[in-house]
Amino acid sequence: MLNQRTRIILAALAIIALTFTILDLRGGKGPFSSVRSVVSSALGGVQVATSVIISPITGVGSWWGTWGDQRARIAELESQNATLQDTVIRSAEDRARADALDQLLRVAGVGRYRIVPAEVIAVEPAQNFAWTVTIDAGRDDGLLADMTVINGQGLIGRILSTTKTTATVVLIVDASSAVGARVAGTEEIGILSGTGRQDSLEFQTLDPLAELKSGQALVTFGSRSGRPYAPGIPIGEVVDVSGTAGQLTRIATIRPFADVSALTIVGVVIRPPREDPRDSVLPTPPATISGSLALESPSPSGVNDGASPAPTASTKPQKEKAATPVPSPTPSAGVATNSGSN
Amino acid sequence: MWIRQTVICASIIVLAVMLQLTLLSRLGLPGATPDLVVVCVVALALAYGPVTGAVVGFAAGLVLGFSPPAGGIIGIQALIFLVIGFLTGAVIDPRDRTVPVLMGMVGLSTGAAALAYALLLAAFGGNQVLWDSVPALVLTSSLYGLILAPAVVPGVAWLVQKVTPEIAV
Repeated sequence: MLNQRTRIILAALAIIALTFTILDLRGGKGPFSSVRSVVSSALGGVQVATSVIISPITGVGSWWGTWGDQRARIAELESQNATLQDTVIRSAEDRARADALDQLLRVAGVGRYRIVPAEVIAVEPAQNFAWTVTIDAGRDDGLLADMTVINGQGLIGRILSTTKTTATVVLIVDASSAVGARVAGTEEIGILSGTGRQDSLEFQTLDPLAELKSGQALVTFGSRSGRPYAPGIPIGEVVDVSGTAGQLTRIATIRPFADVSALTIVGVVIRPPREDPRDSVLPTPPATISGSLALESPSPSGVNDGASPAPTASTKPQKEKAATPVPSPTPSAGVATNSGSN
Repeated sequence: MWIRQTVICASIIVLAVMLQLTLLSRLGLPGATPDLVVVCVVALALAYGPVTGAVVGFAAGLVLGFSPPAGGIIGIQALIFLVIGFLTGAVIDPRDRTVPVLMGMVGLSTGAAALAYALLLAAFGGNQVLWDSVPALVLTSSLYGLILAPAVVPGVAWLVQKVTPEIAV
């Protein structure tokens, strides 16, 4: 069945495939980075064109789930008068897109992020265990690698690579993703890792004594100069906490605000805000009461019961009082430094 | 003849890759994404025989590996599709090809591709494989292959017969 020529061809191809695999495994700037960027540019252009052609099909994200409803709706509309035709033209798709843009603009406006809006045009197949998408904005629109990508619900991911007209985004749920995050209303920070599942992330606080409750929201902690992650972007909320306070590894399960499996319009943060917006971008910013509760909570065992009623609020002034008497032997100098530090 | 064969294979593969990444993976179907590329590789292997099937599979795997947004390891898919292209071209006598047999073969191929990708990814050190979701991915991938087969395989066969009538199997 196998003649000489067939065997040589098969062996050669298999060896090339394996060689590519092994070369690419080394990671970093492998021999394929330039090939990948050239091919990505070419195929990215084709993807933009294909996406335009098929946009009437993909535009309605939940088409498969609701086609029964839509048929009923079409039947209903057909029975209506022609004067209602502009209702048909303003279809659900347009409104959904407008809503998505509105929400994106709200997030960008409140947090003072300067964004470039873009549309998702291609998605990695589910069986490849990688959460990456292509968007239709690229270097020509001012996009660079490691910029933050958001939508109207919150953080989506970061830009992995760009071509002239497209960019590849690695989503926060990808197993390779790690985001510095802060629990809203508190100063607890930690690392949020993707698990590869679309509805759960793992959050590990840096402080093993940190108290986490389900329902608490997480925002991005922010990176230096806003790349890869701009500060203050809502990420998700705690749904489950495993382990108890004090254990070395306490992992909270986070459900992201954004539905990464049905992305349409996203925004790329091309300039982070001058000041960290803290928790203001969250749809419902945590009340100050929940913040103080979280601050009190690290003493659940009852050991510091005497000191617990106002732990941080009382210790700070005491420290300042203790610090001020030290320079008192030289009164003028002490006053000067004191006012300077204030 | 060589040129026409290359052009038809390349067009079908590029079209399949584009449709798979921009349309099929965005429909949000449960489980795996319908693996149109594998279906097309099998269809071309059936039309042109095992050696062309292997070459087409290899090329399709590379195109898929290089296409954005792919971030995986280049070469794994080329290796898998190479084997699928060769086996599906060689395993069945052209006279025995009834529609149920073709559908079964495509379904097996798409399921095997999903399973092989998970296994090879893990073998090459990828820790992102979610093993508890692999059975569902393999099953749904097979199912979507079964559904796509009756539409794609005869279509490709017809196109191949039209463009290169002298070498079609």
